[in-house]
Amino acid sequence: MKIIADECIACEACVPYCPVGALTMKDDVAVIDQDECVDCGVCLKSGSCPVDCIVFEPAPWPRSLRDTFSNPRTVHKATGIAGRGTEEMKTNDVTGRFQRGWVGLGCEFGRPGIGTRFRDVDKVAQVLAKHGVAFEPKNPVTVLMEDVKTGKIREDVLNEKVLSAIIECLFPIEKFQEIITALKEVAREVDTVFSVEVINRADPDGSYPLRKLLNETGIPHYINGKQCVGLGRPLADV
Amino acid sequence: MTHTLHRRGSRESLSGDYTLMMLQAVGINDKDSTPKIQEYLRIVLRHNARNIGSVDMGGMLDKTEEVIANASKIGHAVFDNQADLTAALKEIKEADLGISVIASGIYENVDECLEKVGLKHHTGNFSLGIWGKTEKLPGDDILEVTTMCGHALIAPNLVKAMVKEIKAGTRTPEAAAKVLMPQCACGVFNPVRAGKLLAAMAAK
Repeated sequence: MKIIADECIACEACVPYCPVGALTMKDDVAVIDQDECVDCGVCLKSGSCPVDCIVFEPAPWPRSLRDTFSNPRTVHKATGIAGRGTEEMKTNDVTGRFQRGWVGLGCEFGRPGIGTRFRDVDKVAQVLAKHGVAFEPKNPVTVLMEDVKTGKIREDVLNEKVLSAIIECLFPIEKFQEIITALKEVAREVDTVFSVEVINRADPDGSYPLRKLLNETGIPHYINGKQCVGLGRPLADV
Repeated sequence: MTHTLHRRGSRESLSGDYTLMMLQAVGINDKDSTPKIQEYLRIVLRHNARNIGSVDMGGMLDKTEEVIANASKIGHAVFDNQADLTAALKEIKEADLGISVIASGIYENVDECLEKVGLKHHTGNFSLGIWGKTEKLPGDDILEVTTMCGHALIAPNLVKAMVKEIKAGTRTPEAAAKVLMPQCACGVFNPVRAGKLLAAMAAK
């Protein structure tokens, strides 16, 4: 995102709209810290500028990742999906992506509202890879990995900052505690926040084995969450 | 795409916050899904949805026909009570649109709604909260508002600016919520709950 400095009337209307605080006033002109800006487009889309001096010019690689990961309206070329992740569990009634006995894990870096460099995503991905998780092939972070066996993210993107990026992976439920313990350890080493989610297919009686495990092991989890209600067709055999 | 999962708040506050989503599965039922998703959006509006959206347009409850016309792969809706969520689920089930539906909210409350209309959860998504350098986060009161946009497009500084205006008497909490609402691209922001949260912050 850029400000046409000559046209800025210093009204400051745009400043509070930036989700990562990269927009400030300097010498009576609104300025955008280009290193911190994630190209989410909120300042432009807000319509807050009365003289239309906020502009977006598509950037070359690797900065182009900022727009694709930060602006939910931008479709990832690799996945064909807008936003940061995949359909994950939302369509599990028809995709069967998450089978009984398995756990889906999502680590959403930079969320909420802090943003992340890919170097922090890389640190966690490499730890998860050591524990044998299967990274979701359709996820845009997986696409940036040099090798899905190591989780290593390509060097040229590590300094790029985005509003959020999600690691999505899958592992057998028996490995849950091992992986959560490893995740807790590496969480101390990152310079941002990440929201953690786990996915589980309900048993025929409606119970979630993973929820039972969370309660038994005392792992804190929210009282609210998301559930696919099984109205998709054709139903997958899961 | 975990944009309706990590909403923060007390049990009391979250009791007035439910989101419903319809999403096509790429390569499986995406052919001709657009009219079904548009029909879904018309159904939720009949049951007092407080916000609707797709991804291209959200938070524009005064332009519902435009939002519906632009919707294609995904449809979102927000409700502020279980009765409206239940009624919407009932009509969606009867419409038999064949596209995946996802409900978010307090698990037990959502399950009650599902049970009333003869549905049951298929797959669950559980939030284990925020990890890492949490000292970088704004206060909990701000997060309760900003996490209602799962893509984090609502700036903490904008919430603070709205609270300041409410305190100054230049904007009502409801009007302030309407300033925040269109920043959320998907239309999953709950303006009713936001108005209550903003009023409480301004009263401090």
